[in-house]
Amino acid sequence: MSYSVLVVDDSLTVRMDLVDAFRAAGFRPLPCATAADARATLATGAVDVIILDVLLPDANGVDLLREIRGLPGGADLPVLMLSSEAEVYDRIRGLQTGADEYVGKPYDAAYVVSKAQELVRSRRDAVEGVVTILMIDDSATFREALRAALEEAGYAVLTAATGEDGLRLAGVQRPDAIVVDGVLPGIDGPTVIRRVRLDAVLRDVPCLLLTASEGQDTELRALDAGADAFVRKEEDPAVILARLGAALRRSTGRTPTADQTRSLLGLKKILAVDDSTTYLQALADAMKGEGYDVILARSGEEAIELLAVQPVDCILLDLMMPGMSGQETCERIKAAPIVRDIPLIMLTALEDRNAMIEGLVAGADDYISKSSELEVLKARVRAQIRRKQFEDENRRIREELLRKELEAVEARAARQLAETRARLVDELERKNRELEAFSYSVSHDLRAPLRAIDGFSRVVLEDFGAQLEGKGLDYLRRVCAAAQRMGELIDDLLELSRVGRAEIRRTRISLSDIAAAVTADLRKRTDHDAAVEIEMELTADADSRLMRVVLDNLIGNSWKFTARVPEPRIRIGSERRENGQVFFVRDNGAGFDMAFAEKLFRPFQRLHSESEFPGTGIGLATVHRIVDRHGGRVWAEGAVGQGATFYFTVPRQLTVDS
Amino acid sequence: MSRSRIILLVEDNPDDVELTLRAFERSKLANDIIVARDGAEALDYLLATGAHAGRDPAALPEVVLLDLKLPKVDGLEVLQRIRADERTRRLPVVILTSSKEERDVLRSYDLGANSFVRKPVDFVQFLDAARHLGLYWLVLNEPSPAAAGRE
Repeated sequence: MSYSVLVVDDSLTVRMDLVDAFRAAGFRPLPCATAADARATLATGAVDVIILDVLLPDANGVDLLREIRGLPGGADLPVLMLSSEAEVYDRIRGLQTGADEYVGKPYDAAYVVSKAQELVRSRRDAVEGVVTILMIDDSATFREALRAALEEAGYAVLTAATGEDGLRLAGVQRPDAIVVDGVLPGIDGPTVIRRVRLDAVLRDVPCLLLTASEGQDTELRALDAGADAFVRKEEDPAVILARLGAALRRSTGRTPTADQTRSLLGLKKILAVDDSTTYLQALADAMKGEGYDVILARSGEEAIELLAVQPVDCILLDLMMPGMSGQETCERIKAAPIVRDIPLIMLTALEDRNAMIEGLVAGADDYISKSSELEVLKARVRAQIRRKQFEDENRRIREELLRKELEAVEARAARQLAETRARLVDELERKNRELEAFSYSVSHDLRAPLRAIDGFSRVVLEDFGAQLEGKGLDYLRRVCAAAQRMGELIDDLLELSRVGRAEIRRTRISLSDIAAAVTADLRKRTDHDAAVEIEMELTADADSRLMRVVLDNLIGNSWKFTARVPEPRIRIGSERRENGQVFFVRDNGAGFDMAFAEKLFRPFQRLHSESEFPGTGIGLATVHRIVDRHGGRVWAEGAVGQGATFYFTVPRQLTVDS
Repeated sequence: MSRSRIILLVEDNPDDVELTLRAFERSKLANDIIVARDGAEALDYLLATGAHAGRDPAALPEVVLLDLKLPKVDGLEVLQRIRADERTRRLPVVILTSSKEERDVLRSYDLGANSFVRKPVDFVQFLDAARHLGLYWLVLNEPSPAAAGRE
């Protein structure tokens, strides 16, 4: 498996250098000298990663990058920008345009290749499930033989000739397993494994140690270092494959934190801030060969601006600078979220105790004198990065635990809520059943005695009326009237209770048609009349039976309260208001005092005496309940002697039965 | 064809019995009103069993006025049994009861009631209802040949 790298640079030297470096790392390099060449190559589609110079003879690299981001599939194509100018603002511009990485010239070819590998890997991880094996062996013959066998078995293979290279490659590429020779020119195989075991990201990667001898102490040494298995080098490659397969099966895969943490052995970016670059340039040169990329900033202001777009692993900050001082820069960095966690080492030319205290007070993580050996500085940097990595890892583990705990708590709460809801629903259903049984009983049993009271009073009136005096007859008539009134009350109460429980079946209905039917019915039932005007095509998404009850009550009321005016008029219509359509029933009847408007919709509240206008006082409560159950509102306006208007709304439903 | 003009009234409330008898008496449409005080008695009468074992089961009333809330066997069950028996399955049955609860109305029609009438509280209206019922079932309605009384 080899990746294509598009190298766009007008300098032949750079192209040749990078082509060699990439080819050695197993890439397929596609060199281009101009933006036009690059466009032509990109059109063939076979590019996995791009190395792009900022200055091209026929275009600006940043413009070309913008163009690439707009191409189909170009939005997530890894792009690494190269620039001969170490200007901080170029870097900021490049990163803001969408470069994945920015490397200043003179570049370190090994760093560029490693970075390209890292970028390709993160993309590969996202799309493929290929198992990658890193093989570390100093014998090219053996490497190639095993590579062939592994690729035959469907693995992707990375190779390294030394333990140091292997570890760096492991940090960048995060292989699924490592096969390492016991004897190597620099650090030996067991040491490689030991270092892998110390890395937060790599510690779970299965490691296979290859040994030349079969001695017991070799095995002990291998296991002691943390190898998952060891195989003699002379064994058939099939044996190595079988062992590898077993180790991969046993491995539990990556821990959740491993995906977010950067390996300690991978590439590191260091921001060095100093007005004089002499010391730092020497430092940068010394560190570049070991997987460190050093970015230089010449002032505190530049450093802070850069940190906004460029993530780094460690900051080296000179205490004595013109403009913003090292101390103030440090304070600002340590006050900003996210970047405040980056390890910061304060540098000074002086061996000054006070300067050291100032630096540490400002929030620096460490302090070092410029007169110290570069090796000491490198060791401090490594130590700080390691500390940061462990902190990150611990924080992630804590967050993971907290998240799990939170999930458990949420699940418990959801369960309790569901249980409580189920209990309440049960209780509600039971209450509803009781209420239903109660109203059923009321409907049957309360009416029978009333019928007897009314019936026998009439019988007495008919059969024995002649024997009674005026008062006796009057009282018996009162008994009948009271019994009938109670019958009406019972009927209305049952209706109120029924509309509270009835299932609502919404359909698109015509309120105009219902109003017309109600009016026709009233004309038949009563002996007075009114001029009724009904607006055409009043529609609502509502239960037609319940809306009939609403209009029965509202129009019935208007009918009743206009009985005594000379020219009774009733109008049923609608108005468009801010919150939607409002229906109304308006009359020029007896009206009511607005002071009592709120009371109208409460059961048994009446504003007129029974002798003036008969009624039970339940009708409007029923209307209120029906409108409420449709999610609407009902209210009234009026004045004594000047009629009344009853308004109601029926909010539209998103879906209704046709 | 001569008709029996007999009504079977199934009603447990003595007040209702008295008022119903009076109402039909006024209308002068019925020859005789037989009263059954509960569902079991009504079935005994119709099927000529129990206390009515000696009766001719072929002699059926023109119509049964059936209350729903009855002791022993309730109205709906009486209706069900009437419809289940070959001899009475075409017999006109009018539910005459206090409530018009929707489920009662639906259930009654489902079980084969011919009509459902709510007894009004107002006695004047009740008289009116009785008169209409008598006029309809005893005069206007043409009974099924098998179910009509043959006296």
